[in-house]
Parts: sequence; structure tokens; C-alpha cells
Amino acid sequence: MDEELKTAKNCRHYAMCKIDFLGSGVCDSGLEKHFVSFYPQGRMILYEALAENKVTVTEKCLEIADSCNLCGKCDYQCYFLNEMRPTKVMEALKNHVETFIKNGGKIKSTGDDIILTEIKRIVGVDWATNDEAITITYSHDLSAISDPKMPDYVVMPNTKEEIASLVKLFNKNKITYTIRGNGQNLLGFAVNEGAIIDLNRMKTIEFDEKNWLVKVGPGVAAFDLQKQAQKRGFRINAAEPAALVCANIMCSGIMSTFSTTYGINADNFIDAEFVDKNGSFFSLNDISSPNLYSYKNLQHKNSPGICVSANIRLHPFTDDESGILVPFQTLDSALAFIKNCSIRHIGLALGIVGAEYISTFLSPTKKSASEIKNVFINKLGIPYLVVVIGDKFAIRSIGEMGFPFFDQRLFRALYLGLPSLKSAKWLDLIKELSDDEPYSYLRIKSFADLLETALSPSPDLYSQEIDPDLKPFFEKLFSRDEMTDLVWLNMYRIMSTRLGRKKPFLPVLIYLPIDNGLIEELNDKFRLIAEKYQIDNDFGFITPIDNGKRCIFEYDYFYDYNDPDEIRRIRQAGTEANTLVDEYSVKTGTVKGHPYVLYQGFCRKENLLYS
Amino acid sequence: MFCTRDSAEKRTCFIHRFKPVILSVKNKPTITLTGATGFLGSHLMASLLSGGHRIIVLGRSNKNGTLQERVSRLLKWFGIEEFAGQLKFMEIDFLKPLLGIPEADYKVLCADTEQIIHCASDTSFTERKRDIVFKSNVNSLEGILEFAVNANVKFFHYISTAYVAGANVILCKECLSSSADFLNVYEESKALAENIIAAFCQKNSIPFSIIRPSVVYGDSRTGRSLRFNALYFPIQSVKYISEIYLNDIKNNDGKKSKQFGIFIDEEGYLFLPLRIYLPEEGALNIIPVDYFVNATIMIIANASPGGIYHLTNNSYTKLEAIAVYNEHFMKIRGVEIIYGKSADNVLRNPAEELFDRFMTPYRPYLSDNRIFDRANTDLLTGNMNPPEFSYKIFEKCMEYAIRVNWGESIF
Repeated sequence: MDEELKTAKNCRHYAMCKIDFLGSGVCDSGLEKHFVSFYPQGRMILYEALAENKVTVTEKCLEIADSCNLCGKCDYQCYFLNEMRPTKVMEALKNHVETFIKNGGKIKSTGDDIILTEIKRIVGVDWATNDEAITITYSHDLSAISDPKMPDYVVMPNTKEEIASLVKLFNKNKITYTIRGNGQNLLGFAVNEGAIIDLNRMKTIEFDEKNWLVKVGPGVAAFDLQKQAQKRGFRINAAEPAALVCANIMCSGIMSTFSTTYGINADNFIDAEFVDKNGSFFSLNDISSPNLYSYKNLQHKNSPGICVSANIRLHPFTDDESGILVPFQTLDSALAFIKNCSIRHIGLALGIVGAEYISTFLSPTKKSASEIKNVFINKLGIPYLVVVIGDKFAIRSIGEMGFPFFDQRLFRALYLGLPSLKSAKWLDLIKELSDDEPYSYLRIKSFADLLETALSPSPDLYSQEIDPDLKPFFEKLFSRDEMTDLVWLNMYRIMSTRLGRKKPFLPVLIYLPIDNGLIEELNDKFRLIAEKYQIDNDFGFITPIDNGKRCIFEYDYFYDYNDPDEIRRIRQAGTEANTLVDEYSVKTGTVKGHPYVLYQGFCRKENLLYS
Repeated sequence: MFCTRDSAEKRTCFIHRFKPVILSVKNKPTITLTGATGFLGSHLMASLLSGGHRIIVLGRSNKNGTLQERVSRLLKWFGIEEFAGQLKFMEIDFLKPLLGIPEADYKVLCADTEQIIHCASDTSFTERKRDIVFKSNVNSLEGILEFAVNANVKFFHYISTAYVAGANVILCKECLSSSADFLNVYEESKALAENIIAAFCQKNSIPFSIIRPSVVYGDSRTGRSLRFNALYFPIQSVKYISEIYLNDIKNNDGKKSKQFGIFIDEEGYLFLPLRIYLPEEGALNIIPVDYFVNATIMIIANASPGGIYHLTNNSYTKLEAIAVYNEHFMKIRGVEIIYGKSADNVLRNPAEELFDRFMTPYRPYLSDNRIFDRANTDLLTGNMNPPEFSYKIFEKCMEYAIRVNWGESIF
């Protein structure tokens, strides 16, 4: 397999190339044409399909290939997240098309059928297609749990009225339709035959500052909304940066480390507007609307409608906020800490992360991540870290509680000094110190000075492992304060996608009480399931919610979605993990599995957690 | 004979060194040894094997391998693999009835054992580990002492520490400690263990001896060692701290170093201001492991029942001397020993603060004023004394430590 195809087949489909998370710009053609096919992600999928003869060169394929100007922006983005270089795939796509034409290949033209003509009448000729160069790029989501399905049409409406008309048209002609945001669903809910309604053109953002609200269209990504909110002095509770806000609420509800304070599910919005199954409108605040605030512990197969806007809560922030990392030797002690903080309302955002998470987030490459994980566990003695975002009073309280921590300055030194950390002999001494009192070195007044001297942190050092031609860009990037600012990183969550850099991952997510015994038991059982199926696995994160009464716990399974045997095993492991959660749900009456929240994301958290 | 590292001569040299001592062991009893994978225990094991003893090693597997695998690695390190045939291994648990082994095996173990050397110990000073230390050093005694009775052993030897005398004693006698004031949990647990052993052995008519070494470092002739704490730790700390600043000077124009007055002087020495505060004037009592082994073997062969023996050095080593050795060895200047408490308003540079943290558990031993009575030891060892800690010994020990990366790359 050539290098380009290998890269294309390893595209993680996270849609991160659709947002400007590095400030380096987004693919111009994507911004103009909106179909995912015109973004690097779409071109990767298209190239893979062409190279493996799943599709042929079509009219849209020519347009897609031609619209790429090989600017290289996608290399910055994709390398940052996955250490991949999509530009060579873009070039290969162009070459493929060029060779096809040169060899006298016949460009496939797919005529409009009656349905497509009708669809185009509703949304405009540019915004609907049955060209397989487009439809193939909507045939799967980011996981391998579900089988790919080739849609007949892809439609991009721009208004709720257009959506209503489309629903009526599809109902009338008995055509199945599926709503798609950025295709971040893991269980195949965003893929189907029939029509795919891509909401990415509907990017309206209207601030209502008096009421601490922002009304967002269904095409607005979390990153873009957070950016706009921050400009106006607000913050939203944002999930994955490329996830579309409305779709995210719809599917699972928004959750983040800030959920400790801002909540989950219905805590995050005031109202939302829908197009129902008949093409009529309703708002959650209508007295006669369906009760989407309720929750049933059942797997819902059907969507309650299409969310066409949501009024999202805005939150204030203060200028003394900062982030810290509190290290722990055991999960037990980390859990006790977050529970205590949560009950006492200390900190805005709280989350326990394991060494896998932190090393992957911080490291510029896969190789480095593996080495750094070893340093964190074996040299620094840090298998777990609690991320805390808080104002100066919260941070001071944690100090007074007696917990040593890495403050913002130490974090920056660790982060930009990672390459030195790997070979730092003096860490052997640090380990010895921890034997006496865990992490007591963090109490040394001038430890930051020492760490900076020892690691010589700098954007230049951090970028030394990066491909030489990209190094200048990354040096400049890491010179920017926000890239090492724990508050910014937690607000925008641009690092989280790095978790799939080594291999794509399947998160097992559950809600449960902060019961140390129960969590450790489940943690062990998730690990045993993964080991049984020979699946790479690790502790993910835990975030307390609802004043420490409950938490969100993620355990991650990693797999290669180009390996059919591994896909078979991950499906088995995933099913077994869900069965385990079901058993605990019945046994405890307090454990809730995340898959049940799908399509119930608008529910009240109280109904989800306690009913 | 000069012993070179990893040379073919290593084994011959080792046997040669201990040969005269071994000859004094008359009956070659089968010895059951605990702590054989530790620093002192492994050296004793090697010497006893070379002297023709059969040894039953009691211990447990850990993350580094089974008991047998770990001991095999040690035999290789000592260069005495051919004595493996004299060894028997028993994976046991002191805290379980019959040491956690099947009754039949336990009976065989009892029948085979003539003497016991109990060397296993948790040497942690950390108060935080009090429960673990007491479990290892005190709670485990019940099992091993019961085994001593069941085996009807001819002698029970306990490897303790010279520091059981307590913190406020000036003259430490070769008798049981009644102190209640210890510098750390290790000393406390060893003192309690001694008392338990003595009472039990007296009650059950088991002859016993207690051997109390002070701080033990590597082999005074070769510098070889298996453990790099105590004496080594301050040196390792200074080395690593100096490397941080040398790197800054080399790669960053010494930007950070300059802030704290750290620089390379005209003679190429690193000037690293490091004020080490010690509570009072005193010195360090250190003995090399070769002396420990020689003296212990002599004591085991000829001990009086109930005898307590101090393996200490009449020639104390002041920290100033070690600082001078290190100045020459590492080409580092600026280390200053100050007696008394540092004033609260004294500004410390990061290196000083870090070093101070590293030194905290060891500080009392660096300026110790305790005097150790050695009458019993001198009598049994014919006034054999450990060597004075010279620069030559220091150099050999530190060169070896650096060569094996302070223990990281021994095996």
C-alpha cells in the first residue's frame, strides 16, 4: 500500500480540519462549498475510495480535486493532532484524476432523478447531490462499530423552513433521512441509506447578552461558538471542538470538565427549536411540545425531531482564573480529592486524567507520548492527575488543603520542556523525595526556577521532533500563550483528539456515584474485558457532576480500524462492556450507561442521574 | 589481587578476599537466610556460598522476577554462578502460618535448617510508611521465630543497625536498647525487633546474636556496590544538580545559572553555591560492605549466645572531608558546611532548596556524635577494623556508582 493510501485510510474523521483550531486557517474550498467532500477529511475518504475502486471519477470528483490549492493548512492541523500529512493525499487525488483523464477515462455524470430535482428546488441547485464523490464521504462516521452505508442523496439546507420542506418531501416519497452534523457519532446514527441532511450551512450565532444566552444554528461547531463567546467576555460549556453544538446536545448532551460547575444535558440550554417528523415546528418551551426533558433508561432508535436552533447558556469568567494539575499516586486518592472539591464548590472545572491522557495530550508525537507516559508513571510517580480550573481563591484553597500541584508556570515548563524530561537523570532524585512525602518537591519555593533550568522549555525545544518543514510553524504556534494555558486548553479542548493519534478509540462512558470501590471495580472489569479481546485500553477520565453526587467516567478501548480482526474484537469488547454496565445499572440502581442517552440529550440531568 | 569490573578475575578475586575468613568456619552448617536479595544479605550469601555453606534462601517473587531469578542475577554479579548448586529456594510469606508453604515443605525446611540469619528488612525512614516498615521488620518476626523453634536451630543471627540506641544517647553499648526516642521509624522498628527476638530466644533457649552495622557503603577495594543510598545519595544529588546547571551554561549561555551565581571558574570547576546546614558538628559512621561481611562471618562462626556486636568505624568521616573529596572528584566548588539552623530569612538558591530536601532524612547521620562501644566485636574479630574512608575509596565507590548509573544498570 502506498504512503498516500495508508494516510487516507488512517484519517480519523474527527472533522477537526473543518475548524480553525490552530489559527492557521481552514481549507478555502471547504468554507465555500460546505460539503465535507471539499475539506481534507472528505478528500481523504474520496481518495481511498478511488484508489480501492469503490467509486469512479465523477463530475464532482473533478471539482473536489480541482478545488484543492495544496496550501498545506491541513498538514499543520492533522500533524498537530495525528502526526499525519494529508497534503500528499490531496496531491495523489489530483494526480489520480489527472491520470484518469489523460488515459481517456470517462467522467461519470449522475443525472438528477425526480427526488433530487425536488430537493434542489427546496435548497438550491448547489446544495444537493447524488454524485458518489460526495455521497461516499458521508458513508461512515468516525468509528468502525457500525458498517458504512452509502446514502442516495446529500442535502445541505440553510433554513429551518427548508428542513421542514425536506422532511415533508421525504415522508411523502418514503425516503429515509438522517441528520448529520460533523459525523462524530460513534454508533452509526449519522450514516444511512436514503438522504443525509448535512446542517453545516446553518451557522448563525445570535448573542442575547442581557439574558446570558446565545442562539446557535445547528451548523455551529463548539470551537467556533466558544471563540465568539470568549470575544464577548463569556464562556460556554463546550464539548469536542469540532462537534456541532445542537447535534451534540441531541446525541448525548454536552459534557466537559466544566460540567462540574455548568452541569450536563438540560443545564446547558434554555430552549431549543425543532422540526418534527411531520415537518412542523416546535420549541421546548411550548406548552404542547413533546417532553424532551424526560429520560428513560432505554436505547432510543428514533430522533424526536431535527434540532434547528438552541439557546445556549453563557457563563461569566474572571481575570484571575488559572489551571493547575494536582498529582496523585492512586485513583482512590484522586477520587477523594475531586469529590471533596466538588462538594465544597472548589474549582470551576475538575477532571481526573490518567497518564495515557496527559502524555498523549502533551506530546507532539506518538513516540514521545509513549516515552512521556513512562516518565510520568515511573519517574514522577504520577499515574493520575486532577486538572483544576479555578479562580485565585479556589487555587489557594487547594494549596491550603495541603495538596502540592503543578501551577500554570510549572505546567508550561513541563509541556515545552518535554523532550528534556525524557532524559532527565535528576528525576531519579525526585522519585526518592516522593517516597518520603508524595510530590513534596512541588513545595520547593524555587522549583519552577529549577525546572526551567533543567528542562530549558521553549517552543523550539518542543518542536524539535516535528517534521523539519513544519517546525517553523509549530515553533510559532507554541510561542502563543494559549497553547500552554490550561484554562484555554480546557475551554477549547483541542488536544483531546490526540487521544486517537496512536489508534482510534472507543470510549465507554458511564454516569455513576463517586464511589471509590465501585469505580475501581468497574475500572478493573473494563480492563479485563479489553485484555480478553486483546484490545489496547486505558483509564480515560472522571469528572464530578452535580455537587459531587455523581461523576462521568470514561474508559477507553483503542483499535485499528483498518484491521478487520481488531474491528471484530472491539465490537465484541464494546458489547461486553455495555452488558457489564447494564448489569451494574440493575444491581446498583445508580449506574447509567451513556449509549442510552443517545437522542435523549435534552433531558434534565436529574432525570438521567436519579430516575 | 586487583579486582577489575566485570573481569574474569571477579570471581577468583571475590573468593580470595573472603577465603581466610571462611576457613575459620568449622562446621559449615546449613544456613537459612532471609534478605538474600538485599544489599547486605546478598553479600553474606556470596561469602557463605564461597565458604562451602549450603544456604536455604527464604523470600518472595516481586516485579523483578521470582526469588530464584533474582538470586541468580546476584550470583552472576558476584561471579559465583557455579555455587548455585549449594542454594535452595523457598518462596514464603512470614505473615502466614507455616510461612505460607505446604506442611510437608515446612517440615523439610525445619529439618534442613541448622542456623538462621535474619537479614530481611525494610530500610525506609519514612514515617508515612510506618505500617509497612513495622509489618516487615516487626510483625514478620512471629513467623520466623516460630520457625526457629520448630527447626530447633543451633543459632539465630539477626542483622540489625547500630542506630537502635536511640537519638539522645552518646555512648551506644552492645546491649539491648531501652530508648523511646528514635530518629526515624526504621530505627524504632529495629530496636523493637531486637527486644522481641532476645526475649523470644531466651524463653525458648535459642542461642542468638545481634549484629549491628552502622552505615554500609560498597566494597572498599573495588568500589562495587548494589545499593546507592546513604553515603551515595548526597553525591548523586550534587552530581545531578550540577548537570542541570552545566547544561544551562553549555546550551543556554548560563542564563539561569547567572541568576544564582553559578558559573565555571578559571580552573574549569563549576562554582555551585551550596550551603549545607547541619544541626551540630559531628561526623558520619560508615563501614564498607567487605568489612561488614568479614566481621559478620567471624561473628557467626564464633558468637556467644545473646551477643550483640557493633560493626562500626572508630574512624569517623566528617562531611567536610566528603565535600573536599567531591570537589576534586566532580570538579565542583562552592559546597559549604554550616553548623546550626539556617536563619529563616536566608535566601536559598533552587539548588540549595532541592539539596536540602534530598538531605532531610539523612541529615542526622551526617553530623552524628554517637560513640559505639565495640568490645564484643573486637573480641570476636581480633580487633579487625574497617578502613578509614579515604579519597581513594571514595573515588572507587563513586566511579562504580556512576558506571552503573547509581544502580540503574547493574543487571
